Amino acid sequence: MKIKTNIQNLKNYKIQLRVEQAVHEFMKKKGYLKLDLPVMSPALIPESYLEIFETEFNYFDRKEKLYLTPSPELFMKRLLTQGIGNIYYLGKSFRNSEPNSSFHSPEFTMLEFYKVGATYLELAEQILEMMRFVSDKTPRSRSFVNKKLNNSIFYQGKKISFDKWEKFTVAEAFEKFAGIKEKELFNNKLFIKKVKEKGYKTKGFSYQDIFSQIIAQEIEPKLGINGYPAMLYDYPKEMSSLAKLSKDEKTAKRVEFYINGIEIGGCCEELNDWREQETRNKKQETKRKEYKMIDHKVDKGFIEALKYGLPDCTGAGIGFDRLCMVFANATSIDKLKLINIV
Amino acid sequence: MKTSAGSLKKGDFLFYQGDIWQIQKADFYSPGKGSALMKTKIKNLISGKNIDYTLKTAETTETIDVESIELQYLYKDAENLHFMNERTYQQYTVPLGVVGKATDFMLEGSKYFVYIHNDKPLTVRPQMNAHLKVIETEDAVKGDTVSGAKKPAKVETGVIIQVPLFVKVGDTISINPETGEYTERVKS
Repeated sequence: MKIKTNIQNLKNYKIQLRVEQAVHEFMKKKGYLKLDLPVMSPALIPESYLEIFETEFNYFDRKEKLYLTPSPELFMKRLLTQGIGNIYYLGKSFRNSEPNSSFHSPEFTMLEFYKVGATYLELAEQILEMMRFVSDKTPRSRSFVNKKLNNSIFYQGKKISFDKWEKFTVAEAFEKFAGIKEKELFNNKLFIKKVKEKGYKTKGFSYQDIFSQIIAQEIEPKLGINGYPAMLYDYPKEMSSLAKLSKDEKTAKRVEFYINGIEIGGCCEELNDWREQETRNKKQETKRKEYKMIDHKVDKGFIEALKYGLPDCTGAGIGFDRLCMVFANATSIDKLKLINIV
Repeated sequence: MKTSAGSLKKGDFLFYQGDIWQIQKADFYSPGKGSALMKTKIKNLISGKNIDYTLKTAETTETIDVESIELQYLYKDAENLHFMNERTYQQYTVPLGVVGKATDFMLEGSKYFVYIHNDKPLTVRPQMNAHLKVIETEDAVKGDTVSGAKKPAKVETGVIIQVPLFVKVGDTISINPETGEYTERVKS
């Protein structure tokens, strides 16, 4: 890897600063408490789908492994169980084995926030409100103001208005964009049969893998391209192990949202059953061993905290770099940075 | 050659569904839940057709080692570009649709690198820059000093592109053959 100085990105970087300021302002206005959190932790929540960065604290004989946090979740949920109320974190998170590409970087900025008592659909509305707020606070060209395009931006030649969401349930989107019917989507066997017919490889792939592949190839490119950001909601429960289930018990209360085919973030109603979380952690831990991933210490205190009681809440995670990229009308997140490690 | 999909990059040649394809775009994609994916756009090197192709990064793919040899570009007809190896006089053809827009900036009689696999030509290796002479353009009007103003100019391959006002007939200019955009004046 190399250090690259990109002073030509100064204009985009300044837009990022404006977005950042607007987000802080919005969060304050809405009563969220800003958190400052560590990025190094002696233990993590096991996740079999993401690799972590490992480092070591050294002091004479004392040596201790530390890990860069892939998300601030473990700290934030601890505080929620203590009754801290609505909180947000805007800062760095780290994911190993995610090479630099248009929308990924091993080191990235995460906007994560939790609203106590809110449903996932209510929080989705607040995310939209935040984007409206940000769009009013970020600079735009004179021609833009003349056209009185309030609450909107231009991204890659397309007008995007934050006045409303274009909404699809996952089942609707699969039917409309991929020709997969609801009864096929919620039945593992029928699902595999259908995608095989469509020409996808299925051997050795899990339901989750194939699901993500269809989302990536056939659905995402159609989301958020008709003048509004799009939200996709009510995911099959297999796709949302940390979200609460809906009444039908087939879907989980999770939302992801998109602008011009790019996933920007999402939210879900947080599972607060510590037993389920513990079972899940054990499964993920076993999988990590099986995949020969970095063997980190599991955060047992997290489960202890959940036993104390996580309030009903919805948590949102937004790829802040991607959000800024959209407001800066840039095509990749590296175009916002003055220094890139590539 | 076996390659994991996670290592695929733009320009690689891929064996897929019995055909050879070239990767036009490869982007890492992590859905958060579920395995990481590579989202690619690949071009069929027979029909020139582009398709989206998403793979798991851990999947094994069959990539192809190719050699590139310098050939003389003879001419193009309605379907193909014709090349000749100046040493052996062997002739090769590459479908027009496979090379795409870059053919607009290829000059007959000039030499280009062509990718060859099993003695079959696959496609033309893209040039970083095409250096071409301007054969027709209007003189700049005095006093027209709007910065960034452009005018049309015809280059020696017969294609018209937008150039800055100071470019004159006889200048050699550099063009990005992928986008067809003027980059700089090489020689006046």
